Amino acid sequence: MKIRTVEYFVGEAASSLRRNSLMSFASVSTVALSLLILGMFLVMVLNLNLMASTLESKVEITVYIQDNLSDHDQREIGTRITKLPGVSEVTFVSKDDALKRFRERLGAQQELLNALGDSNPLPDSFQVKMDKPDLVKTTAQSISEFKGVENAKFAQEVIDQLFVLTRLIRIVGVVLIVFLALAALFIISNTIRITVFARRREIGIMKYVGATDWFIRWPFLFEGMIMGFTGALIAILLLIKAYGMFTHQVYETLAFLPLLPQYPMLTHIGVFLLVIGAVIGALGSTISLRRYMNV
Amino acid sequence: MIRMSGVSMVYSNGSVALSDVTVGIKKGDFVFVVGPSGAGKSTFIKLLFREIAPTNGHLFVNGREVGEMPLSEVPYFRRQLGIVFQDYRLLPNKTVYDNIAFAMAVIEAPRREIQKRVDHVLDLVNLRDKARTYPTQLSGGEQQRVAIARAIVNNPVLVIADEPTGNLDPDTSWEIIRIFEHINRDGTTIVMATHDKTVVDTMKKRVIAFEKGRVARDQEKGAYGYEN
Repeated sequence: MKIRTVEYFVGEAASSLRRNSLMSFASVSTVALSLLILGMFLVMVLNLNLMASTLESKVEITVYIQDNLSDHDQREIGTRITKLPGVSEVTFVSKDDALKRFRERLGAQQELLNALGDSNPLPDSFQVKMDKPDLVKTTAQSISEFKGVENAKFAQEVIDQLFVLTRLIRIVGVVLIVFLALAALFIISNTIRITVFARRREIGIMKYVGATDWFIRWPFLFEGMIMGFTGALIAILLLIKAYGMFTHQVYETLAFLPLLPQYPMLTHIGVFLLVIGAVIGALGSTISLRRYMNV
Repeated sequence: MIRMSGVSMVYSNGSVALSDVTVGIKKGDFVFVVGPSGAGKSTFIKLLFREIAPTNGHLFVNGREVGEMPLSEVPYFRRQLGIVFQDYRLLPNKTVYDNIAFAMAVIEAPRREIQKRVDHVLDLVNLRDKARTYPTQLSGGEQQRVAIARAIVNNPVLVIADEPTGNLDPDTSWEIIRIFEHINRDGTTIVMATHDKTVVDTMKKRVIAFEKGRVARDQEKGAYGYEN
């Protein structure tokens, strides 16, 4: 394809965008909205995945041991845990230590514990640190089967819930995005249909003088792609702005929450959204061209 | 140039527009196609530039079997033809010059070539001084001259004209016919459907008359043969 021809195509596309400025605006807005939502879901899913894996990697196992076990038996359990693969550190927490920590955590409300009197309901325990997060689950299982161990807990439930949440967001996201993409396709193909209609004489003449079908199609494809591309660009700018504000808020109030840095994540999402935008635009044009132009 | 043998055309609604038409037109001929409305003139013309494909029979135009031609080749086939319509079909938002240049631009001719050829055909239809005006500023005859210039700008071997003088007064019609005569003298084959009795009778060219979808008459140096 010659450069001059491409110039001609883009020029034609631009002039018809101007001619139908209202419809073009509606198309661009719909694409922008759809892609903004797609982008937000991507950001959410990526961050939740990060949270889940951070939690997993930080996981400690708390091993509660049965009361009235002899010191020897307790030490025996500690030694056996230390020998397990992936275990990096084992700390014994006596029931007295546990109660003290509990008191500290309660702070001002520690008089609640006075009701207990002298009795201490907390068991002795081991804090087990792991350097291989993927072994946490199996390790916890095997420890809980040790003789004298009441049970072994880790943050499994939180992680599971995070995964459930991620899956839910993915499903909702996919449904919403498919719906919005269809809306964007519909409105773009309608805009192109209007353009095709406005230029049907021109198209007719082009056919009579021997323009190829592709030569006739390209300006419309460009028009659709420009709309999709512009919509994507707007979505990306909004997303960058929104995520910037969001991370700023989180760092001020919930500093412990792990968040992905803006870049390179937003660069990747941006490229992805631009491609999707252009594809939606081209597809919308194609639908109209097939239905209304027979080329 | 044109060889039509046993061609029939039945439209999808079942109406028979042409039945078993056999006609040959040599290179350099000037042929009038006449006949009452609905006799098959328009169908005949549309077959020539592959607006429609024949239901039956064989049609060769410029050495190509038109009926069997894949759609993707139709544009290249049409580049060897020039087509002129009764209603001119000019683009109102383009100047006279651009209307003609458009026909070359869409087949991706080089820019320098376009300028040379457009100037040449504008001279030929005597509209050089109107190059920068818009079609709406022109008379009907002038608009048809622009359409003819556009039809011949790509050097066609065959010019097909469908009632080119149908909307014009007699004097203007003659201007148009003289231009076609000129083009024909340069070796281009001309096939013209017309209702213009005076023109046909005066020109004394070959006349093919259609009636009820068949060739009713085919005469060298013929006459219109109907009362208008």
